[in-house]
Amino acid sequence: MIEFKGVNKWFDKLHVLNQINLMIPKGEVLVICGPSGSGKSTLIRCINKLEPIQKGEIIVNEMSVHKPTTNLTKLRAEIGFIFQQFHLYPHMTALQNIMLAPVNVKKITKVEAEKIARQKLERVGLSEKADSYPAQLSGGQQQRVAIARGLAMSPEIMLFDEPTSALDPEMIGEVLDVMVSLALEGITMCVVTHEMGFAKKVADRVLFMDEGKIIETGKPTDFFDNPKTERAADFISKILTH
Amino acid sequence: MLDNFNFRIIFEYLPLFLNGLKFTFLISLVALFLALITGIIACACRISSIKVLKYPVIAYIEIIRSTPLLVQIYFLYFGLPTLGIRVPEIQTGIIALMLNSGAYIAEIIRAGINSVDQGQIEAGLSSGLNYVQRMRFIILPQALGVTVPPLLGQAIVLVKDTSLLSLISVVELTRSGQTMTSERFMPSEAFLTVAFFYMCIYFCLKALADWSQRKLIFREAY
Ligand SMILES: Nc1ncnc2c1ncn2[C@@H]1O[C@H](COP(=O)(O)OP(=O)(O)OP(=O)(O)O)[C@@H](O)[C@H]1O
Ligand SMILES: [Mg+2]
Repeated sequence: MIEFKGVNKWFDKLHVLNQINLMIPKGEVLVICGPSGSGKSTLIRCINKLEPIQKGEIIVNEMSVHKPTTNLTKLRAEIGFIFQQFHLYPHMTALQNIMLAPVNVKKITKVEAEKIARQKLERVGLSEKADSYPAQLSGGQQQRVAIARGLAMSPEIMLFDEPTSALDPEMIGEVLDVMVSLALEGITMCVVTHEMGFAKKVADRVLFMDEGKIIETGKPTDFFDNPKTERAADFISKILTH
Repeated sequence: MLDNFNFRIIFEYLPLFLNGLKFTFLISLVALFLALITGIIACACRISSIKVLKYPVIAYIEIIRSTPLLVQIYFLYFGLPTLGIRVPEIQTGIIALMLNSGAYIAEIIRAGINSVDQGQIEAGLSSGLNYVQRMRFIILPQALGVTVPPLLGQAIVLVKDTSLLSLISVVELTRSGQTMTSERFMPSEAFLTVAFFYMCIYFCLKALADWSQRKLIFREAY
């Protein structure tokens, strides 16, 4: 469970998160959308403290994320983060990428970690790529390895920051399929994406942001078909014509 | 021109040159080793967020980079005794080379570390890896690749810089040339021979650099 309580964040004078109050119950699939620069990435990056906040509080599984005494390692081990640019380690094979954190953070044995890693690779449909280096994989395959790397820590929460925006159109489907199957498994997910198909299929809720504020939230069909605010309507018409 | 060259004299003085070469080699080796350690420590301080470590090291690096090596050598040569520290010239020279190359090496290593994509560091952070683990598993293995060629370049510079130690009367290769010149006035023969030996060292190091470069290109392409 994730809760934002009056969260504010500034980059110098720029007010990127403006009084965010948000409750994400366990198992929810939340899609976050909004125009470029509205603060979507910043919002989810605060959840595992990749970014500090200046005011308010974020609580994840009873832990106050930004309190100095919080055990960040434990917190981060429970949260998977998927980046737009994958960020696989280029000097390691797919298998080594996936095993790194389980072995060194969870301190499980290499044998055990390899078993889990192979399971997760199979889960994303890439069993045969275990020994490939990132440079030998397509964008879609790299992103699926990154998802397998996140899953190997058995996180309760997965955060995705535009996981398909860096992909060629023909590879978007394979990544979304993996994400849909995760969503159906009941893992808590926050996904920054403009993939309306994905949102309509599995999202419990869509959140629309603009200028650091939450403008509107609603069920995906309500949001996309009957947006309540002008700004959301405007945004949706733009991604439709896109 | 070669007709006028007296090659016999070079052979006569060969033991002197070989002795000089030996010292140039040893001084370079010791200084390089110490400079590497200095560089690693200085770099660690330079990138740390602890101010009492960071700022003195920034000052050290900037002082070294903004002044000529010869001035640094003279400063230590004349300065250490006034502080009551009396060490032989050769050690003064090694300290000067260590401090000088150490500063450059610190910057070379820092550039290597900075070349690692910030996104990978964030990936490491978000999976719970601590600072040491991120350094060890993500940053250093990749930084090493880009650091080796410039480090060998710095080693070549260091070998040539040892010639300045002749000015504080350390016996090494260049000093051998000076000795022969003063005994038999034949500077062309003397310094051609000296140059030849420096070139030998240079080509050995360059071969090593090229070899490591090929290895690295192989690494990047996988
Ligand atoms: N490290 C930073 N330093 C200063 N400003 C930043 C930094 N990161 C982001 N910003 C600014 O904060 C604002 C919100 O950025 P954010 O990346 O959260 O937007 P976004 O909604 O994810 O946009 P996009 O759709 O383009 O990814 C932007 O105006 C951006 O320029
Ligand atoms: Mg973004």
